[in-house]
Amino acid sequence: MIWKLLRQHISALQLLGFFVANLFGMLIVLLALQFYRDVKPIFSQDDGIINNDYLILSKRISTMGLTSSSFSQRELDDLREQPFTKSIGTFTASQYKVACSMGIEGVANFGTQMYFESVPDRYVDTDRSQWHYEEGSDLVPIILPRSYLAIYNFGFAQSRSLPKISESVISMLDMVVVLRGNGNERRMRGKIVGFTNRLQTILVPESFMTWSNREFAPDSDTSPTRLICEVGNPTDDRITKYVNEHGLEIDEDKLKAGKTTYFLKVMSGIVMAIGLLISVLSFFILMLSIYLLVQKNTQKLQNLLLIGYSPRRVSLPYQLLTIGMNLVVLLLAIVLLWWVRSYYMELLWAMFPSMQESSMIPAYILGGVLFLAVSILNAIAIRRKVMTIWRG
Amino acid sequence: MQTIRLENTFPEVFANRNDLTSEVWQQDVTFEKGHLYLVEASSGTGKSSLCSFIYGYRQDYQGMISFDGQNIRNLKVSEWTRLRQRHLSLMWQELRLFPELTAMENVLIKNRLTGFKGKKEIRRWFEELGIADKEQSRLGLMSFGQQQRVAMIRALVQPFDFLLVDEPISHLDDQNARLMADIMMEEATRQGAGVIVTSIGKHVEMNYDRILKL
Repeated sequence: MIWKLLRQHISALQLLGFFVANLFGMLIVLLALQFYRDVKPIFSQDDGIINNDYLILSKRISTMGLTSSSFSQRELDDLREQPFTKSIGTFTASQYKVACSMGIEGVANFGTQMYFESVPDRYVDTDRSQWHYEEGSDLVPIILPRSYLAIYNFGFAQSRSLPKISESVISMLDMVVVLRGNGNERRMRGKIVGFTNRLQTILVPESFMTWSNREFAPDSDTSPTRLICEVGNPTDDRITKYVNEHGLEIDEDKLKAGKTTYFLKVMSGIVMAIGLLISVLSFFILMLSIYLLVQKNTQKLQNLLLIGYSPRRVSLPYQLLTIGMNLVVLLLAIVLLWWVRSYYMELLWAMFPSMQESSMIPAYILGGVLFLAVSILNAIAIRRKVMTIWRG
Repeated sequence: MQTIRLENTFPEVFANRNDLTSEVWQQDVTFEKGHLYLVEASSGTGKSSLCSFIYGYRQDYQGMISFDGQNIRNLKVSEWTRLRQRHLSLMWQELRLFPELTAMENVLIKNRLTGFKGKKEIRRWFEELGIADKEQSRLGLMSFGQQQRVAMIRALVQPFDFLLVDEPISHLDDQNARLMADIMMEEATRQGAGVIVTSIGKHVEMNYDRILKL
């Protein structure tokens, strides 16, 4: 019955205006967040191995080949002291001969000479449960560049009509590794525990590298030729400057990806800000509309208060109206988000089949927080408006 | 609530007037529960102001009004809400009904808040006051005299210690006025309540315990 009274003068057009504006605002905010989260892995590709804020440095190879391609301790210390550097790890290369053959069920059908490299374990942020080596063990964990698999699948297997191999299948392959050097030879089993897009090398645990270099090449020089450098901001200008001055080379691609991620972040931020702005504006439309409504119904509200209705009870219908609308907006925004997302995810999957799907929970949480914030503000504003009527 | 006391009370708009000769304003008056009062006034002497001061929706007065010794200026919103539901009822001169609702809905909107009367009893009042056929009519379409009767019923569907009626019969004939007064007094007596009636001339003859000139 109160509702019958208070719904008088409700302007459907104003509420529709709010509804549409708030829906767009909410959708843009949520979509910006979700899109950022969905697209980010493609650029940063922190698919386990090396995080985005790490750069790979090496010395530029000169045509004369006169300068040493390895880093001295002094150069390392100098780099370590640069303001953009957080920490530095060195790549260690195997100093002995490595031969490897792969096959299925013990039948070797693919063999090659190769090499290993290692970086300190803390730069490997894959699941490290398998990433360790114990002296004496015959099992060597290995991380391969993903491009190797692509070369096989799209180059070799395609042309020979061989089956394509997925990442999970390749981890099950038998891999025999033969280490030779210092008059020793040892056969070991290799196990592929992960793939990397960024690090174009065959990685083994550092503990294995230390042991094997000592065992098979005790006298070689193991000064590093490549560095992995953790930086605060990969797009820092000082990095480029330092690298040019010291004749170094950066994994360009990585830097580009870093920049792209940075721009993606900025763009998403701008879009989200616009969405928020629309949300805020729509909030004011609603408040204005409700104020107008309360104003038009002042007499009725006042009479209700005078015959003994509490301000809380009189505010409630309008509060429920706004909260209900906000809730419908939230749900509709989420449904639309799903719909839009399914559309662009299809495109993304077509372009990046190996892309992992990111969770939508942060978008839900953000939507929920927006809903709560707007609803609470609405409720408070309505209550305050009613209280001004109480005071006459 | 046993007493309503006005100590040296007068509307702020009278502050500059030296010729106030009133038995209420600037006096010490106590209304007691269980008694019937008539406040007679000529227009412009603040009759409706008196009601609004006591009912707590206007504070533009000097002096002090107290319920059982408590200054009503200090009452909180929740206390006023409780008072208006349980202890104090007012029938406004301007009625303050809702023209969009039917006559019955206008009463029920109050009764639903207090849960005080059954629908049967409300119907009986409608009948006794001769507006039974108007129960489902939209209030806005009814005459002022009929609306006055609806307002009276609404004022009665709650428990009260004091009932204030501001010119209740201005648009009623003598017979209907008598009927309404009887119903009002019947309910007030049943509740043991005090009744304060205001009037600018026309009023029903009743056994007033005290007649005050405003």
